[in-house]
Amino acid sequence: MSAPKKKTIQIEAFRHRVVADPKYAEKTWNILEHAIHEIYNHNASGLSFEELYRNAYNMVLHKFGEKLYSGLVATMTFHLKEICSSIEAAQGGLFLEELNRKWADHNKALQMIRDILMYMDRTFIPSAHKTPVHELGLNLWRDVVIHSSKIQTRLLDTLLELIQGERSGEVINRGLMRNITKMLMDLGSSVYQDDFEKQFLESSADFYRLESQEFIESCDCGEYLKKAERRLNEEIERVSHYLDAKSEAKITNVVEKELIESHMQRLVHMENSGLVNMIVGDKYEDLGRMYSLFRRVASGLVLIRDVMTSYIRETGKQLVTDLERLKDPVDFVQRLLDIKDKYDKIIGSAFSNDKTFQNALNSSFEYFINLNSRSPEYISLFVDDKLRKGLKGVSEEDVEIILDKVMMLFRYLQEKDVFEKYYKQHLAKRLLSGKTVSDDAERSLIVKLKTECGYQFTSKLEGMFTDMKTSEDTMQGFYANVGADLGDGPTLSVQVLTTGSWPTQPINTCNLPTEILSICEKFRNYYLGTHTGRRLTWQTNMGTADLKATFGKGQKHELNVSTYQMCVLMLFNNTDRLTYREIEQAAEIPASDLKRCLQSLACVKGKNVLRKEPMSKDIADSDAFFFNDKFTSKFFKVKIGTVVAQRESEPENQETRQRVEEDRKPQIEAAIVRIMKARRVLDHNNIVTEVTKQLQSRFLPNPVVIKKRIESLIEREFLERDKGDRKLYRYLA
Amino acid sequence: MGIQKDRIKFNVGGRIFETTATTLGNAGRDSFFGALFDDNWNLLRANNNQEFFIDRNPDCFAILLDLLRTSDLHIPSNVPERLLYREAAFYGLSDHVRSAKWGPFDGNRLSLCRSVTGRAPGDGTAIRAGPDGGCAVAHGSMVHVFDWMLEEHPPINLDYQRVNDIGWVNTDGIVISACERLGTADGGMGLFTSSTGELRYKFNVVHDNQVKSYAAGALSFSPDYKIFSSCKGRSNEYGVGVWDQVTGKQIDFFYESPGWSLGDADKLQWLDRRNCLLVATLFPRKDNCYISMLDFREKRMVWSWSDIEAPVTVDEKRVRDAIAMEESNSICVVNEYEDLGFIDLRMSGGSVRWSSRSRLNKGKMPDESCYPKLALHEGQLFSSMNDCISVFCGPDCVLTSRLRRSHGGSICDFSIGGDRLFALLSEENVFDIWETPPPPII
Repeated sequence: MSAPKKKTIQIEAFRHRVVADPKYAEKTWNILEHAIHEIYNHNASGLSFEELYRNAYNMVLHKFGEKLYSGLVATMTFHLKEICSSIEAAQGGLFLEELNRKWADHNKALQMIRDILMYMDRTFIPSAHKTPVHELGLNLWRDVVIHSSKIQTRLLDTLLELIQGERSGEVINRGLMRNITKMLMDLGSSVYQDDFEKQFLESSADFYRLESQEFIESCDCGEYLKKAERRLNEEIERVSHYLDAKSEAKITNVVEKELIESHMQRLVHMENSGLVNMIVGDKYEDLGRMYSLFRRVASGLVLIRDVMTSYIRETGKQLVTDLERLKDPVDFVQRLLDIKDKYDKIIGSAFSNDKTFQNALNSSFEYFINLNSRSPEYISLFVDDKLRKGLKGVSEEDVEIILDKVMMLFRYLQEKDVFEKYYKQHLAKRLLSGKTVSDDAERSLIVKLKTECGYQFTSKLEGMFTDMKTSEDTMQGFYANVGADLGDGPTLSVQVLTTGSWPTQPINTCNLPTEILSICEKFRNYYLGTHTGRRLTWQTNMGTADLKATFGKGQKHELNVSTYQMCVLMLFNNTDRLTYREIEQAAEIPASDLKRCLQSLACVKGKNVLRKEPMSKDIADSDAFFFNDKFTSKFFKVKIGTVVAQRESEPENQETRQRVEEDRKPQIEAAIVRIMKARRVLDHNNIVTEVTKQLQSRFLPNPVVIKKRIESLIEREFLERDKGDRKLYRYLA
Repeated sequence: MGIQKDRIKFNVGGRIFETTATTLGNAGRDSFFGALFDDNWNLLRANNNQEFFIDRNPDCFAILLDLLRTSDLHIPSNVPERLLYREAAFYGLSDHVRSAKWGPFDGNRLSLCRSVTGRAPGDGTAIRAGPDGGCAVAHGSMVHVFDWMLEEHPPINLDYQRVNDIGWVNTDGIVISACERLGTADGGMGLFTSSTGELRYKFNVVHDNQVKSYAAGALSFSPDYKIFSSCKGRSNEYGVGVWDQVTGKQIDFFYESPGWSLGDADKLQWLDRRNCLLVATLFPRKDNCYISMLDFREKRMVWSWSDIEAPVTVDEKRVRDAIAMEESNSICVVNEYEDLGFIDLRMSGGSVRWSSRSRLNKGKMPDESCYPKLALHEGQLFSSMNDCISVFCGPDCVLTSRLRRSHGGSICDFSIGGDRLFALLSEENVFDIWETPPPPII
C-alpha cells in the first residue's frame, strides 16, 4: 500500500447568514438610478412600475436600504444641480417662470420616485430615523436650488420688484407669484419667512414711510385717509391673492404703523381739515374712515376721543357761559339738545356706536352743563315752555321724544334737587292757571322722573295732581250743597292745596273785596264742615279772577286779572281816583307785588285800564291812579298779565338757592346717620365719599357742607370723635 | 350602458386577476395600488387589455383583493397569517388588514384569539396593551414587546434592574419604571423605542437643584402629555413625580406627608375631568391601604381614604386594587375574595360600600392566588380573579360576562388597548389575546 494520501482538510466557516451578492445590489440600484434619471428627463413612460417597486423592495429586504437611500440623495442632488444651473441661465423675466416650471417638474418626479420607493419609505426610513422621501426632496430643493447663492438673492429681488411694480399700478402675473410663494411655503414656513417675508415687510415699511411723507405734505386729512384706506385694502387683497394668509396681520401692521400711527397726531390736528373740521362739517364718511383706520392702531381711538371730548367741552363751555344765549332759556336748552343730536348722529353713523365714545360724550355734557348753575332752572323752563304751548299739534310719539331728550339732559345735572325745586314751581303755575296743554305729557314726564330718581323725588309732584282732582270734586260738592243760597254773587273756584306738596310760602292775606269775602267764608264753612281738623289759608298771590267792567261810551269788557289786580280794581267801583298810599292801605297787598300789579294795570299799552299820574314807567309811593274812562280794546276779553319775569331775577334766584341749600342739610344729615349706623366707626374722608355716593343721584354735596353737618351732628350727640384718633367718628346709638 | 372602462387586469405570479379601479382605490394613496393612479384618481399606465404583472404570491393577492373589495378579511386555513402579513406589507396594506382583523372592543363579545408562550420564567409582573394592538410584557428585569401581528421585537432591558411598571406613550414609545439596584446610582424611568428596544431618554428627578437617583413605581399618563410616577428617593424623598413627555423635563413633585403613602403606590390613575391624580397604595405592600386624589395645581390632596381606623370585621376585607369611575363619582375597590366595593368620591373619609355579590366564590380558593386587578374601559368594568376575568356593565355594575381559559394558572395582570384585551398568566409564561370578532355581515 502506498502511503496514504495526505488529506488536507480545510474547514470552511459556516455561513450563518445568507447575504445577497453586493454586485447584485449594485445592479439593482443601477436600474433604479437609471429610472430616476429617466423620470427627471421626462422619459418615465417606458418604465415598469412593478419592476422598480420590486427592486426597491428587494434592496430593503436584503439590507441594502442604506445604499438605496444614499443613492437616492446623490442622484436627486445631481439632478437638482442641473436644474439649478438652467434656472440661473434664464434671462430677466423668464427667471420666475423657469423656476416655477422646474419646481412643478421636480414635484412630479418626486411623486413618482416616492411611489417606487414606497416600501423603503414605510419600513426602512422610520427604523433608521431618516427623512422620508417627500420631505427629503423638498429639503434638497431648498438647499440646492433656493439657497444657491445665485438664486437666493435674485429670487427675493424679483419678487419684491414685482410687488413694488404692482403698487405703482403695473399689472403682474399673480398666478406665477402665487405659485412661487406657495413653493416657499411648501418648503416650510421658516423658508417663506426668512427668504421672503422678512425682507418684504422691511421694504414695504420703507416704501410706506416715504409715501406717507409725500401724502401728508400734499393732501388734506380726508384725502390722506382715503389713500391710506386704499393702500391698506390693496395689501389685504395682495395677501389673499398670492401671499400666505399669516402675512396679512404682519403687512397690515406695517401699513398701519407707517401710514397711520406715525402721522396720527398731525392728521387729527390738521388745519382746516382735521377732526374738528370734520365734526363741524358733519363729514360722516370721513369721520367713519378715520374711526375705522385709527381703530387699528393702539392709541388711535383714544386720540380721536380726546380731541372730540375737548372740542365738545370747549364749545359747550362757550355756549353755557355766553351771556347773550342765557337770555332765552328755551333757546339755550334747544341748543343743548341740538348739540347732543349732532354728536349722537356722528357717533351713530361714523363711530359705529362705540360705547367709549358715548361715555366720553356723556361726561363732556355733564362737565359743561354743570358749569352754569342755572342749567336746572333752564331745563325746567324749557319743559314748562313745551308743556304750555310747544306741544300743540305735535303727535304723542314726538312728545315722548322731546321728553326723553329732556330727561337725558336731566341725567347730566348734578343738582337734581334744584331742578326739582324749579320744576315744582313751574308745574304749580301750570296747574293753577290751567295752562298745561296735555295731562298725559305731564304724567309721562313724572313717570320718567320717577324711574330716574325714585319714588320720593316725585311723590310731591304726584300729590299736586291729586290735589287738583280733589279740588274739582270739592267744588262740585260745594255748589251742590250751598249753590242755591248764593244768589247771583260772584262765582268762586277754589283749589285746595296740601301744604308741603306745593311751593307755597306763608303769606299775609290781602283784604279781599267784601263780595268775595262772603262767598269765601261760605266755602270755608262748607269745607271745614266736611273735613274736620283742617286749616285753610288763602293764597291770594296765586289766584285769578274774571271781572266785567263798563268803560266810557258804554263799552263792556271782560277783564282777566290776578287776585291782587282784582282787589285793586274793585276799589275803583266806589271812586275814580286813589293814591298809591290809599290803595296800599285798603288792599294790604305786599309792596313789591302791589307795584308790579299796578304797573301791569296802568303802564302796559293797550291794557291800561287805570291811568297814572304822573305818567311814568315806574310806580312811586306818591303816584295817584284814575279809572281810565277812555280805555278801548278791540277784544271783548282782555287778559291783563302780571308783569312777571319768566326767568327768575337775581335776588329770587339767590333765594331759591338758599332754600335748596336749606333742604339739603337734612338730606346730608340723614345720609351721614344712615352710613354711621351701619359702619359704627368711620374716618372723615370715607364718610365724605360715602355720602357723596349716596346723594349723587340728587345733587353733588359740597365737602365743606358735609363737614359742617358732621359737626352739627356731633353737637347734637349723634356722633362723637374717637378719643385716640381725631379723624375717626363714632356713632352714638 | 357602454363598456366598462375602469377594468384592470393583473398577472400575479402567473395567475390572472381582474378588478376595477374603484376596488383598487380603496387601498388609498399610500399603497402600491395608489401609485397606479394620478392626482385625480384616474388609472395611470393602463394599456388597454394589457395585463399588469406583479411578481408576488397569488394566493395572498387573492385574499388582499377580496379585502379591498369587501373590507372583510378571510384567511383560509392553508395560508399562514405571517405570510399574509408580509404580503400586506409589500403592498402597503398592513393597516387595512389590521383594522379588518378584529372589531371594535366590547367586553361582552370577546373571544380568545391566541395564546402566546414566552421564553422567560413565569415571573410576569405586568402586561400593557399598546395603542395599535401590540403589547409589552414585563418579566423581572426584561420587557418583551410584541406588535399587533404578535411578532416579537428585540426585548428591552434597563440594565437588568427589576421592572415595576410599563406604559405606552405612543405606538413607538414605551416608558419603563424600574427599581434602583443597591450600590448603584441608576434605576428610575426611561423611554424606549418599542420596535428596536433602544433607550431614547432617561427621566431625572431633581431635589433642591440636585439630580438624585430614585426608584420609580406605578405609572400614569395624562392627555396633555404628562407622565406621573410614584418615586422613592435615597434620602426619603418619597412622593409622586411629574414629567413632560415632550421635553422630558421634570415639572413637578408632590412630596408624601408623614403618616401617608404616595411613593410606594401600586396604582396611579389620571382623572382628566377632575384634573386630579388618583394614588393608591394597597395591602400587602403596606399594612394599610391609602387612597388619595392629588390636585397638582393647588398642590393639595383633595380627597383621601384609608382603612387605618376601620374596624376589623369578622371576615377581614382588605382592598387589593382600586379604580376611579368618574361617571359615577366613586372609586371601585376589590378585595381578595373578588368582592367589589364602592367609595363615594364627593366626600372625604367615607366608608366602603361592599357589594355582597361574589360570596359564591368562597371556599374554592386555590392555594396560591394572584391579587385581583381592576380595569375600566368605556363604562365596562373588568376584574380579574384567579383564572378568569369578570365583566361588569351599567351604573350598578352588573356581572355580564366571564372570560376564562382552562390552563396557565391564575391571571396576574391584564390590560385593554388597541381594541384588544391581554391577560398575563402566572404559572406558565403565557399571555392570552382576546378580541371582538368583526361585526356580522348584515
